[in-house]
Amino acid sequence: MTKDELFSELSNAVISCKKDKVLEAVEKARRELDPSEIIDKGLAAGMNEVGILFEKGRLFLPHVMMAADAMTAGVKLLEDDLPAGAVKGKLGTIVNGTVEGDVHDIGKSIVSTMLQSAGFEVHDVGRDVPVQVFIDKIREVDADMVGLSALMTTTLLGQKEVITCLKEEGIRDRVKVMVGGSPATQAWADKIGADCYAENASEAVMKAKELLCGA
Amino acid sequence: MATEYMTRMGDGRRVFMTREDILADIEAGVAEGADSAEVPALSEEEIEHLLEIVCAKERIVTVEPGNEIVMSQDGGAISIDSEHTSGVPSGRILATLMYERGFCMDSIDFGHTDYSFKPVKPLISVECQQMRWVQEAVTVPVLYGAMPNMGLYYTPDGPYENPGDLMKAFKIQEARESIEKSADHLTRDIIWIVQKMMKSGGADGINFDTTGAAGDGDFFAALRAVEFLRKEFPEMYIEMGMAGESMLGIHGELEYKGKAVAGLWPHKQVELAAEAGANVFGPAVNTNTTRSFAWNLARAVTIVKEASKVSPIPVHVNMGNGVGGVPMFELPTLDALSRANKAMVELAHVDGI
Repeated sequence: MTKDELFSELSNAVISCKKDKVLEAVEKARRELDPSEIIDKGLAAGMNEVGILFEKGRLFLPHVMMAADAMTAGVKLLEDDLPAGAVKGKLGTIVNGTVEGDVHDIGKSIVSTMLQSAGFEVHDVGRDVPVQVFIDKIREVDADMVGLSALMTTTLLGQKEVITCLKEEGIRDRVKVMVGGSPATQAWADKIGADCYAENASEAVMKAKELLCGA
Repeated sequence: MATEYMTRMGDGRRVFMTREDILADIEAGVAEGADSAEVPALSEEEIEHLLEIVCAKERIVTVEPGNEIVMSQDGGAISIDSEHTSGVPSGRILATLMYERGFCMDSIDFGHTDYSFKPVKPLISVECQQMRWVQEAVTVPVLYGAMPNMGLYYTPDGPYENPGDLMKAFKIQEARESIEKSADHLTRDIIWIVQKMMKSGGADGINFDTTGAAGDGDFFAALRAVEFLRKEFPEMYIEMGMAGESMLGIHGELEYKGKAVAGLWPHKQVELAAEAGANVFGPAVNTNTTRSFAWNLARAVTIVKEASKVSPIPVHVNMGNGVGGVPMFELPTLDALSRANKAMVELAHVDGI
C-alpha cells in the first residue's frame, strides 16, 4: 500500500466511527509510517472530514462522539511509538458558554462537543452565564480561549460585556475571544474586538486551531 | 471600468460588485446548495433570471400582476411590539389587526411573547381567552403559534438530563434515552395545549414555528403531535415551519413512519410533514453571513425549489432575518428582501411567503 492509501484507510476508519476499524488501521499503518504522520495526516484528517459531514447532515452528533472516541483510542495505541516528550497533549484550553440572559444551549453544546472531539480541553459553563462566571472559570483553568455564544439580537451585547471585563481584569491579552450564534457576524466580532467569529461548529474548530495552534 | 451594482453581504453590509462577480457567486451558491441538499442545480436560464433580479436597477423589485402569492405571518405579535424590532407599543391584539389590515397578511399567527409551547401550558386559559377576542376582531384565519423548542425539557429548564452534557461525557445511549423521553413529553404537551386552543379558544389552526430547533427529537415530537391532531381535528389548519435547512441529528436514529428523521433537507422534511397531516410547510434555509447576498439567495432558491417541486402541500418559505437568502439583520433591507421574495416566487415556485 502506498502512503496515501494508508492515510486514506486511517481517515476512512475514523469516518466510519468504529473503534475496531481505527485500531486495525493504526496497527497496519504503524509498520510503514511515522506515528506523527499517522495522527496528523490520517486520524486528524478523518476527524476534520467528520466535522464537515456533520455540518452537511450526513453524520450526526453521536457519530462525532464515536469518531472522537475511536481516534483517541488510535492515538493511545501510538503513544509508545512516539519519541519521549512527543506525545501530543491537548491543543488548548477553552471556556465556552452562552452569555447571561440567553438560555439557548444546543448550538453552544455542539460547538463544545466538536472542540472537545478535535482535541481541545473544553470547559462548558452552560448558558445564561454571568460575566463573572466566565472570568472566574478562565482564571481557574488558565484558559487560552473563551467562546461566547448568543442566539438573540437582544443578548449579543453580553459578548461585548465579557470582553470589557477581560480588559478590566487585565487578562484580555492572554485569552483569545471567539464569538458565535445566529445574530453574530464578522462585522460584530470586529466591532467589539473579538479575535474571531465562527459561522458554525466546524468553523469554530478551524478558527480555534488557527488561533491557538497556528494551524 | 465595469459597472458595479449595489448589493449586500449576508450580514447586511452594503457592497458593490460587478455583474461578473455576482454571476460567479450565484453559480457558486447554486453548486453549494445542490451539493449540500443533494438536489438538482438551477439551469442556465434560471441562473440568468436570478442574475437579472439581483442586478435590477430599482431599489425594490416585485412580481408581475397576477403572480402574487399568499402571505402567512408567523412570530406572534413580536415583530410589531417587541423592543428589539419595531417597538410599537401595540399589544398583541392590535398588532394582529395591523397584520391583517395594514400589512394584508392572508393568515396570522397569534402567540405568546415567550413563543414556546411549554410555558403556554400554565397560561392556557389566558391564551384561549385572548384567541377568542382576536377571532371576533379578525377576518383572516388566525393560527395559534408556538415553537416546539424541546430544549426547554432538558436540564436546567426541564426534567430530563441534557443530552449535550451526556454526549460530552460519551454517554451516547443515555443521551438518546433523554431525547426520547423529552420528545414524548413534548408531544403530550403540544397535544394538550392544542386541544384546549381548538376547543376553548376557537383557533383556526396551529402554526408550529422553528420546528427542529432542538434537532431530530424536536421534529419527531412535532410530527407525532401533528398526526394525532389531524385525526382529532380533520378540518384544522396546520402549518409547520422549520428552524433550519438540515435536520440536526442530535439523536441520530429516530424514525417517523419508518423514515430516519436526522439529516433531512427541506425536500425530504416536507414529505414527512405532509404525511403527518400538515397543510402548509415552511422550509428554512440559513444565511451565511460571510458570503454575499447573491451566493446566499442562489443557494436558498436551489434548495427551496426542490421542496416546492416534490411537496404535496403548499410551501410557504420562511423569509426574514437570516433565512431564505435574506441577510442577517434585525430589520431586513428592502432591496435584498424584495429581490429574495421575487426569486422565491419566480424561480423556486413557492406558494406563499
